[in-house]
Amino acid sequence: MKGSHLGEFQELVLLTIMVLKENAYGVSIKREIKDRADRSISRGALHTALSRLEEKGLIESWQGEANKERGGMRKRYYKVTDTGAAALRAAKELRDSLWNEIPGLSLQYQHHYA
Amino acid sequence: MKDKIQTPPTFYTRLFRWFCKEDIYDELQGDLDEEFLFNTQKLGHKKARRLYQREVIKMVRPSIIKSLNTQQLPNNHTAMFKNYTLVALRNLGRNKLFSSINIIGLAISMVVGLIAIAFITEMNSYDDFHEHGSRIYRVVNTRTPLNETSDEYATTSVLTGRRLVNDFAGFEAVAPIYRGLSGDMTQGEVTITQRGIYTSNDFFKVFSFPLISGNPATALSDPYSVVLTEETAMKLYGKTDVVGEVIEYSNGDQLKVTGVAKNPPFHSHIQFDAIGSLETLITKNSTTVTSWGNMWSSYVYVLLPEGAKPENYQASLDQLAAEENAKVNHFQVAMGFEYLSDIVPGNGKYNQMYTIMPRKNVESIAILALIVVLSACFNYTNLSIARSVKRGKEVGVRKVVGARKTHLFSQFIVEAIFVAILALVIAILLFQVVRPGFLTLNPYMDRTTRLELTPVMYLYFFGFSLTIGFLAGCVPAMLMSKLKPVSILKGISTIKSSRRLDMRKVLIGLQFTLSMGFAVLVTLASKQYKFALSYDLGFDTENVLNVNVQGNDTELLKAAFLKVPEIKGVSTASMVPSTGSTNSDYARYKDPMDSTTAYTIDIDTEYLSNMGHELLVGENFRKGETKDKIIINELMAERLKIGSPAEALGQPLYYYDQSWTIIGVVRNFHHGTVNNKVEPFAFTSGRQNHSNLNLKLVSGDITSTMSKLEAAWKEVDPLHDFSATFYDDQIERTYSDISASVKTFGMLAGIAICISILGLLGMAVYTTESRLKELTIRKVLGATVSNLVLLLSKGFMPLFIISAAIAIPAAYLMFQRTIVKYAVYKINVGIWELSGGALLVIGIAFLTIGSQAAKAAKMNPAKNLRDQ
Repeated sequence: MKGSHLGEFQELVLLTIMVLKENAYGVSIKREIKDRADRSISRGALHTALSRLEEKGLIESWQGEANKERGGMRKRYYKVTDTGAAALRAAKELRDSLWNEIPGLSLQYQHHYA
Repeated sequence: MKDKIQTPPTFYTRLFRWFCKEDIYDELQGDLDEEFLFNTQKLGHKKARRLYQREVIKMVRPSIIKSLNTQQLPNNHTAMFKNYTLVALRNLGRNKLFSSINIIGLAISMVVGLIAIAFITEMNSYDDFHEHGSRIYRVVNTRTPLNETSDEYATTSVLTGRRLVNDFAGFEAVAPIYRGLSGDMTQGEVTITQRGIYTSNDFFKVFSFPLISGNPATALSDPYSVVLTEETAMKLYGKTDVVGEVIEYSNGDQLKVTGVAKNPPFHSHIQFDAIGSLETLITKNSTTVTSWGNMWSSYVYVLLPEGAKPENYQASLDQLAAEENAKVNHFQVAMGFEYLSDIVPGNGKYNQMYTIMPRKNVESIAILALIVVLSACFNYTNLSIARSVKRGKEVGVRKVVGARKTHLFSQFIVEAIFVAILALVIAILLFQVVRPGFLTLNPYMDRTTRLELTPVMYLYFFGFSLTIGFLAGCVPAMLMSKLKPVSILKGISTIKSSRRLDMRKVLIGLQFTLSMGFAVLVTLASKQYKFALSYDLGFDTENVLNVNVQGNDTELLKAAFLKVPEIKGVSTASMVPSTGSTNSDYARYKDPMDSTTAYTIDIDTEYLSNMGHELLVGENFRKGETKDKIIINELMAERLKIGSPAEALGQPLYYYDQSWTIIGVVRNFHHGTVNNKVEPFAFTSGRQNHSNLNLKLVSGDITSTMSKLEAAWKEVDPLHDFSATFYDDQIERTYSDISASVKTFGMLAGIAICISILGLLGMAVYTTESRLKELTIRKVLGATVSNLVLLLSKGFMPLFIISAAIAIPAAYLMFQRTIVKYAVYKINVGIWELSGGALLVIGIAFLTIGSQAAKAAKMNPAKNLRDQ
């Protein structure tokens, strides 16, 4: 189904937004990915991913506050929509079912998000 | 935190601002700033800046950059352009008078532009056929004689060429060229006169003059070898396969043909019919040819290695010059390099190899063309603005329907370009008409210029007309597209602002200043030209035919010509005075410290009477006893303090390294042109060979006389063609620079007047039309036709007065600074010479305005009032 398919990088971004909860905006997402996955991504690449996700309806965004260190420019916060969460879950289930089919390598996952 | 505020790189910030989409800019720029600050604190300023730059570069992706076409309008350019063209055509058709004024005015001035483009392109195309052209340099000399000012020469000694080969390393090839291989070549029955150069094998390495037969590496190694051009070979042998043949040269040498070269292209500053080996000259006359002082007719061209700079070779030239200068004491030479493509157009060096178009001619043509073309652009602008009142409604409707400013702008530009292209077509036709006239403008032209229309030229022309269209259409397009639809549709009168009227007046004023300036200039120049031609030289030049002796025995020729009954007298002389060349030396009387420059020619016993010189005292030369006898003019006796003419007889003179006895004194006459004064002059006899023969003819049927003379010539010299020119024609040619100015300014005056009158006509028509109602009412109330004409013309009067006030002094100044800059004898400039041209222009202008006004005034008032 078009729209629900998630690329690897898009999945990473979606998960990161979920992890960051209320504080998911450009810089924080970028920094979180750098810290956790040790991946340096450019802000431009992140923008492309975010705008695709938004087009697909997997995330939503709103304008936030401005401060001095941003030169008076407003932040834009992102939040994963229900569709987004469902897509993530669908992706995970697909993987789990595949993992389960591999004998002896079955791993236990904990669902720590709802 | 540091005290200084660390900022991200400005250029990248600006760049990002420029390409980023509006709606996401705040978010992204904010993030960039925040991260930059964070990085500065963590990684330092430098690293942060680098990261920032990388981030901005990586922002260049489709999701972020602005799309090029932000005005998401339907893409129907073709349809719109079709419509613009159609509307342009309709407008041209509707207003035939305005359109033809515009098109013809533009076309006339474009011709000047086209000539300038063709001319400049042609001048810059000189010598561009050489394969290694970018590495070829000519060695040029600056020669400073003892106690005198230095002069720049295109020539260099042959010695320089030889020493650069032998003693200095690093030149890929060095080609010395000695000009003056001129004489007759004979092969069997055929004899031709040709002109060529002497050079060495390196000549073919430096330049791309390909040989069609013969080996370029050895063709010029041996003395007495010669390379012919195809044309020369065809003339001599009727074939080009002639290597190994032997030619008899007029000085008695036997020349062996070692190669045949392609004819040199027309646009080459090096021209030749044959190339002799330089060894020939050196073998015969080693010391003179290769002396340091002999730098008058030889050139040295060098080919530098790939990537080498001429500056790096200057030291070699300086060293060479220093070594050789040390051996002489009456002059010093400094040498330098001149780039091949800088040779044409010429920059005023003496002793060029061939006729070279001076750079100042090229520049003045470019400037004049620019003035004329801009003036015609003004016209278009002017008329278009004048018509903006009528076009306003169209603009309003278009705007209401949804046209944007850019649309209207492009519409009016398209219209202007359309007119420009129509004008171009006419201009190209006119170009063909004007071309022959331009080529004969002055002697430089036909020798150096062809003005051939190549496809590239047409491309330039097209580009030129596009530019003209754009320039001319720019201002009206801007004004029209700015018009507000509401005010237009409400009432067109509101857009007539006085500011625009002022600009139009300034433009017309400029045009009239130009027209009057050129008109005054052409009056002055033609007066000076007539003055120079009719200047009384003090001897007789009328009906004198000067014959080039071409090395024949003058006595034989005299005898042959005297048989022709139309000949009244024959005399011979070493040269022709008053046509530009002179010959002089210092002359002394008794006081060895008091000398004066005296000019001279060598004459025979007939010359004085034949040319109408008046011998005041003393006697003429007698045949056979002329060796130390001299005849001087009054001024020479005066200048050397010899006394009165009678006292001078029998006195001694020291002149040309020998002493002379004065046997006669002639009345003062002018030996030069109006550019020099009458000076001391002396006639000698038997000192030099005579190269010119003066035939005094009885006036009558020139054609039959000429054919008789030609027959007489052929009796003595069947080989060469009879070459003769009337003295008066020769004098006329001496003043060809003035006549070229007269023709140029005449043409420009004509064009400028045409353009400004066309512009004025347009303005007059416009003024009359827009004031038609007023004029009609005035007429009904009793105004006469002349009242109305006066009323309409009155407004233009101050304009003309101001134009004349600027144009007349400017033209006078230009006349003094250029045309008569060097003239000693010149015309008296009076009030009529100055104002005549301006008055003529004003007269034509008033006729133009008057005709329009009269037409309007004569119309039936009832009809006009009913229509309006």
